Amino acid sequence: MLEAVEVSKTFGATQALKGVSLCVKSGEIYCLLGANGAGKTTLINLFLDFHRPTSGAVRVNGRVVASAPIETKRDIAYIPEQVMLYGMLSGLENLDYFAALATGGRQPNKHLNALLIEAGLPADAARRRVSGYSSGLDPSAANEFSALLTRSRERGVAILTTTHDLFHAKQTGTRVGIMKRGSLVQELDSADVTHSDLETLYLQHMRD
Amino acid sequence: MVVLMIAAILTGWQQQRTVQAERNAGQALDYDAWLKQGWRHPHNAADQGMHVFKPDPPLSVIDPGIDPFVGSTIWLRSHRQSETKFRPAQDATGLKRFGNLSPAWLLQVLGPLLVIILGFSAFSGEREQGTLRQLLSLGVSTRRLLWGKALALTGALGLLLLPAALLASMAVLSNLGSQNVLDVAARLALLGSAYGLYLGGAVFFVLGVSALCRTARASLFLLLALWIACVLIAPRAIADFANRAYPAPSRLAFESGLTKDLGTAATKVWKANFGVSTQWDASVPLNKWGKALQVDDRAGYGVLDRDFGSLWDTFERQQHLQELVGIIAPVVSLRSFSMAAAGTDFSHHRDFSESAEKQRRRIQEVVSDDLVKHADPLGNQHFSYKAGPAVWAKVPRFNYRAPYAAFALRRHGISLAMLAIVFAISILFARFAVTRRPNF
Repeated sequence: MLEAVEVSKTFGATQALKGVSLCVKSGEIYCLLGANGAGKTTLINLFLDFHRPTSGAVRVNGRVVASAPIETKRDIAYIPEQVMLYGMLSGLENLDYFAALATGGRQPNKHLNALLIEAGLPADAARRRVSGYSSGLDPSAANEFSALLTRSRERGVAILTTTHDLFHAKQTGTRVGIMKRGSLVQELDSADVTHSDLETLYLQHMRD
Repeated sequence: MVVLMIAAILTGWQQQRTVQAERNAGQALDYDAWLKQGWRHPHNAADQGMHVFKPDPPLSVIDPGIDPFVGSTIWLRSHRQSETKFRPAQDATGLKRFGNLSPAWLLQVLGPLLVIILGFSAFSGEREQGTLRQLLSLGVSTRRLLWGKALALTGALGLLLLPAALLASMAVLSNLGSQNVLDVAARLALLGSAYGLYLGGAVFFVLGVSALCRTARASLFLLLALWIACVLIAPRAIADFANRAYPAPSRLAFESGLTKDLGTAATKVWKANFGVSTQWDASVPLNKWGKALQVDDRAGYGVLDRDFGSLWDTFERQQHLQELVGIIAPVVSLRSFSMAAAGTDFSHHRDFSESAEKQRRRIQEVVSDDLVKHADPLGNQHFSYKAGPAVWAKVPRFNYRAPYAAFALRRHGISLAMLAIVFAISILFARFAVTRRPNF
């Protein structure tokens, strides 16, 4: 469960977050919508302890992030918009490195190979250096990613995601939050709105 | 750099073999010539004197120190203490040292550069790439990441430098000759720990700076600028500062001052003993000339001790001041400790010079003693007296043994302490740098 309680964050003179509260429960996919600079990424950074809130607190599974930064991160899987890999290493070596750091120990190669195959990577990807691979999502990859989110939700994972894609938010998300200039201006269940309602609502907020 | 290093070790090793052999042979020949000089007037023999050679310490392969600048041969002649050249060449840095490519110089100057090249992007590069964010999101603490990177950097450095270090140790041990193996091993250990602290400090410092920079390029520029300032410029500036704080007289000024002091002291004793106001005054009977030589020599000893002592103290004071300021430029502390541990610094040079002077006085005493014993009873035959091999043999062979490693540690332990402090500060700095909120 991810919770933000009245969090504010200022960088110098700019106030990136103004008393935002939200809660993502187990089995929910919470989609944050909003223009660039609305504070979506700042909020995510607070959950990862990349920034400390100026006031208020963020919690992961009930634990305050700022006082247990390492432990709370153990409960989080963070997938950046652009996944970066080490160009000098092969796919398998990249996976080996990240997995070892995440789990605190080396994972058997067999296990890692199985994961790569499961991910549908070309057979030689494991051996080749990864430089040149793009991690951008093409339509089919985006579709797969949505399916992955849905499967995780069914396993009881709480998912917080930022997106500009209203269609995706409506289809995959269970909750939608609209952010504007550092505030959460509206929250709704995606089951309660149609795609066109969501679009109208969003555009209305952006215009004000 | 590894190639340069190996080349430097091999040339140093070869040079040492030939130089050591030549010096041993030279000194033996010279002493033989002294013994076999036949029948001569002792004063003439003393005027000719003999040469003594400073043994080349085995570790000079690694750090020749000031030896190439101060020379290694002293002429033990009568009346006056000679020195090998004594310009404070141990302060020479930068370009002056480029002509003198020793393994020590390579490690001191290019070692940090190697660390910079290997490690400048350790954090900043990952930050720029976005992988740092991913690593930290996995729940890895930045301190563990720091230790891991330090380990990796040290490993890479070790892989590059270890072969050279092994080669250097082998070169040193193979030229050992009559040297004390334990002492050489102790000196090697001292050298190893000093360079370890220095490069270890560089590792943490580079990682710390990398952690503070946003981009790899920024960290590279900053580190290169710091390298130029601390490794190339600061030592020169510190040496100049030390020279100004404890000014040493020019060679010319020192020589003329010494001549004046010797003259004053001599005049006093000639007046007291023989009632004349100038040295070697014709009114002193020739049968007193043996006694006169003795009195004259002995009057000089105190003056020489005082004048040379104060000159050398000045050099050592400059050196110590530099070692203390080494906290800004650790390379200065490392340089002086490295020379000391290798046995090629000024303290070791002074030790040799002092024992050469003792030998010179031994010769003088033997000669004037003999002249006093054979004082001319006739009054005009002073110069026709000739001494033989029995007198020459009274002067023992000059067997100089360089001081042990403990001597180096006692004199320059402060430098090692400075390096340890700098190492500790670097670790603290790196820990502070990585735990600072990263700016993503």
